[in-house]
Amino acid sequence: MATLRIGWPQRWTRKQRSQASIVMDSLILVAALWVAARIIAFAPEPIGSNAQFFADGTLMTVQLTVVSGVLGLVLGLLAALGKISRILPLRWLCSFYIWIIRGTPLLVQIFFVYFALPVIAKGTWLEEAMRVTEFTAAVLALSLNVGAYNAESFRAGLLAVPKGQFEAARSLGLGRWHTLVDITFPQAFKVALPPLVSNVVALLKDTSLAYNISVLELVNVGQRVQSRTFDPVPILITTALLYLIMTTLLTQITNGIERYYDIEGRIP
Amino acid sequence: MSAVAPLITVDKVNKHFGPAHVLRDVCTHFNAGEVAVIIGSSGSGKSTLLRTLNRLEKHDSGAITIDGIPVDDSPKNLKALHAEVGMVFQQFNLFPHLTVLENVSLAPRRVRGLGLAEADQRSTALLERVGMQAHAHKYPFALSGGQQQRVAIARALAMQPRIMLFDEPTSALDPETVKEVLDVMKGLASSGMTMIVVTHEMGFAKEVADRVLYFDKGCILQDRPPKDFFDNQDNPRIRAFLGQIAN
Repeated sequence: MATLRIGWPQRWTRKQRSQASIVMDSLILVAALWVAARIIAFAPEPIGSNAQFFADGTLMTVQLTVVSGVLGLVLGLLAALGKISRILPLRWLCSFYIWIIRGTPLLVQIFFVYFALPVIAKGTWLEEAMRVTEFTAAVLALSLNVGAYNAESFRAGLLAVPKGQFEAARSLGLGRWHTLVDITFPQAFKVALPPLVSNVVALLKDTSLAYNISVLELVNVGQRVQSRTFDPVPILITTALLYLIMTTLLTQITNGIERYYDIEGRIP
Repeated sequence: MSAVAPLITVDKVNKHFGPAHVLRDVCTHFNAGEVAVIIGSSGSGKSTLLRTLNRLEKHDSGAITIDGIPVDDSPKNLKALHAEVGMVFQQFNLFPHLTVLENVSLAPRRVRGLGLAEADQRSTALLERVGMQAHAHKYPFALSGGQQQRVAIARALAMQPRIMLFDEPTSALDPETVKEVLDVMKGLASSGMTMIVVTHEMGFAKEVADRVLYFDKGCILQDRPPKDFFDNQDNPRIRAFLGQIAN
């Protein structure tokens, strides 16, 4: 879908305009969640009478996405840095993590965290920590999953930073930390952004798999309403539409972030 | 008067890239305030020597000392070395996500811990010195090659080095912007900066250099004052090289 763009005042800088977009789109997302129940209530039966239920499911889906998304970004960056590290065991560990996660289905990972980890942890000091709620199990599995994909996106970005940038930083006497924070990361993040956005959009939709461990997210809500009403068509259309609205608002926000980093003005 | 220790000494330095022996027992020294121009055909090791001076390349054997600091991997020595030696690259290597002013002020702020206001003030003064103050808030992509290289010089000067290394600073430039960069370098030379310049700009070497070093197959084949080097050249190989450059 083409992006909706507001004509911010031309005298604002590119950064100011993109920041304004990011703030406004985020506010729209929050406002949409706020009024969701009242708007869905206008829908015909059997949706209208279950409006609050659908709104709660939508909110749960957003919560899963935001929490797992943030954790997944941190995890992804750390795993990417680990995979290009000079320390062999660290490289090995991060490659192993990415290999396992990308090579197995997300549903198996969710089941593993929810059903298998507590069994494995039984009798160890981790037993208490592994007795988690469905929400926590889903967040853990989802962030581990998206983290592995993010790691490869970040790695692509990190590898795209030209060698000359490191040489310039080194010749100026910048240490490793400042080189990473001030030079490497901002440039790598810009390159990694489009694939990262794909990962987060996929994450938003993949939160529906948390249905399988009884997290009351949007698909779960739809299925429960359907089991009472036996009316699949409006329920699935509503569910799909709510996902579409969420992914649209999410990409509006990320488009703002991409514009923020688009120094050369290459995004038309 | 005579026994002033050289600022940089290079003693029997060797460097290999795989099977290629790019520096062979290179011995030389550079004095404070001296402008040395290094020339030679590509692959002769001239850039590699320059890059070993600030540890962008590690030499395999031999010793390099800069103002008493041994060039090695000790973090303390590296820190002192990078404070002493600035470098300008063929491809400028400006930070594309930072403005011109931020490019210049970043290292003083991060390495020297300067406050934003003071760093900006000093950086603006440096940009004035290279004639780029009007472009302080532009990003590198919006500048010509010559302008970018002048910013890169200001960025290196911001760390107040005693020595400036130039690695083919005009080789990536359009002919019409070469002069503005060379003019900045000439100004720098006349201010007493110690400079080592790898270049193909023979005019600059004739006019500004105190010494011309000719590199060939990893060795310094000749080290002479420019007048002697250009006007009384007796080595047939160097004469052939100069003939090719002139055409």
